[in-house]
Amino acid sequence: MKYVIIGNSYAGLSCGSAIRRFDKTGEVTIISDENYRAYARPLISYYLEGKTTDETIWYKDDDYYEKNGFKLILGKKVVSVDTAAKKVVIEDGTKIDYDKLFVGSGGTPFVPPTEGFNPESLMMGTFTRFDDAKKIKNAAKMAKNKEAIVVGGGLIGLKASEGLRALGLHVTIVELLPRVLGLALDEISGNITAKRLNENGIDTATGETVTKINLNESGNPTSVILKSGKELIADIVVVGVGVRPNVGFLEGSGVKIDRGIIVDKTMMTSVKDVYAGGDAVVIYDVINKRPNIIAIVPLACEEGRVAGTNMAGIYREYSGGMGLNSVEIYGLPIVTIGLTNPADDSQKVYMFQDDEKIYRKLVYDGEVLVGAILLGDIAGSGILSAIIRQGLKCLKYKDEFLNGNIYSFVIDNEFEIYNINEGYAIRGDFEDLPEFSRTNWR
Amino acid sequence: MNKNKLTNLKEDLKKNQVEIMLYPSKCDGCENEGFTACVKACETHMNEKYGSKYTGARINIKKKADKFFPVICRNCEEAPCVDACMPGARYKDMETGWTITNYKKCVGCWMCVMSCPFGAIERAKEDHFASKCDGCVDDDTPKCVAACKKGALKRIGIKNYSYERRLMIAKKIYGPYIKSGVKG
Repeated sequence: MKYVIIGNSYAGLSCGSAIRRFDKTGEVTIISDENYRAYARPLISYYLEGKTTDETIWYKDDDYYEKNGFKLILGKKVVSVDTAAKKVVIEDGTKIDYDKLFVGSGGTPFVPPTEGFNPESLMMGTFTRFDDAKKIKNAAKMAKNKEAIVVGGGLIGLKASEGLRALGLHVTIVELLPRVLGLALDEISGNITAKRLNENGIDTATGETVTKINLNESGNPTSVILKSGKELIADIVVVGVGVRPNVGFLEGSGVKIDRGIIVDKTMMTSVKDVYAGGDAVVIYDVINKRPNIIAIVPLACEEGRVAGTNMAGIYREYSGGMGLNSVEIYGLPIVTIGLTNPADDSQKVYMFQDDEKIYRKLVYDGEVLVGAILLGDIAGSGILSAIIRQGLKCLKYKDEFLNGNIYSFVIDNEFEIYNINEGYAIRGDFEDLPEFSRTNWR
Repeated sequence: MNKNKLTNLKEDLKKNQVEIMLYPSKCDGCENEGFTACVKACETHMNEKYGSKYTGARINIKKKADKFFPVICRNCEEAPCVDACMPGARYKDMETGWTITNYKKCVGCWMCVMSCPFGAIERAKEDHFASKCDGCVDDDTPKCVAACKKGALKRIGIKNYSYERRLMIAKKIYGPYIKSGVKG
């Protein structure tokens, strides 16, 4: 059996590991357009700060690929997929045969149309790859006025600004929405976060966009002009607005695409033997109860694993995921789970705030918890995400949750509540299923 | 459940398929002693094992009214904390079957804290790493199990673990209709 995996990151490697779990001899080829073996992509901002170094940024051990017998093709873009002949065509014209294909191509950064944006410049760019981080690190050394502009106040933008700040630059975040992390946070938590950023030398210009980037004769930025007409000095401009599924190469392959790749419960696309997972796919959102693109690391791993299991010939379904994220801004941990800004009046919101240190918000739909924000104190947040993902009724615990006694739910219910298998399995769950049993692992 | 399917601890130990089983109803939080034995034992041992940089107990006792509950890693088969770990610091050790952590890679993003359905991963004080039980697979008996005199923690083989866990769930649901049939 010949397996080909497009994408050498979380979804792809999780898929590869799952294939190896059930198929010890199959030929696995991993294709990546980057020149590095798998690295911790979201940690490129920590790389700027120096918290992650050239030694620790690698996602897997040095001998991971050899140990698992994965063939690695680096620095080659996939141009197209011929699903009829079952071939993957790469940049240099080579055609690679496959029996089962996994597409974990992730996302490409989205740049809103801005006058003067010049990706060729050494002082300007997006922020999703290791190369981007290296470029920015060099740019910071060359910055004369020590001023940087980050377009986008989402996770990418925030982490990029933290990294730039650590390199000694003064940073301004330009965000279209009225607050930073606008999709995940509400007004109160957004303000607390913004204040924390401001205290640490990062300015936030919310409700603003960059309309024009002024360039000097060598194509590097000198200043930006905002929608309000204000002009800000800029040595470095980083655009971190968001990513779009990287699916251009699937054109003409017959794989159904609607924003992202459409997959069924087994993570198979509309074409037989072509599977997909990660940031490029549309999966079922258990909170909003509709198909959605949820681009986060835990789901990419789960999707890759389910796809890999099916590719190796063992039937398995994926029940869908939900959005959740965790970020730390200058010592302030923030966790957002599920639906945090309800649009519907039928959903009740409960809040607890202790000055600017601790903030908790719960969103209930009837008796069911559907979303939460925890800021400052995040102990036990995993229990909340398990409760939310499983849609458990827990309205009577709302006061205890708000006061931070999240563990009281576990104490009362002991641990049988987690027996519902939601994409992951608790130890011992597989012991009656011989093909999943741990004796098959090694 | 067929009793023949269950294995004995000696065999499981050889295959490294051993778990720490919890019996929360037996835990009394060591109220009379003035300190929790398992937490203290773990703290001391972790200090020896990982040095002063990555110290802190990996087990915790949570209290609600008069009920106590030990919170410790359940060593999930497909661990959400491994999925969520962005730097790849947490991984499944194929030899021992335990989910362990390479603290050198951990940056303190708290993704695992957010993902653990048991709340078993906690931030260690103000430090920037998420500490988690590593099962103490090098020892014959983990220090917390040895320290617990109440029988709330027990070393047990994977098959028995799976069976007992399901039995506990069944007991919870059907209560008096089921008699516990397993010892050791």
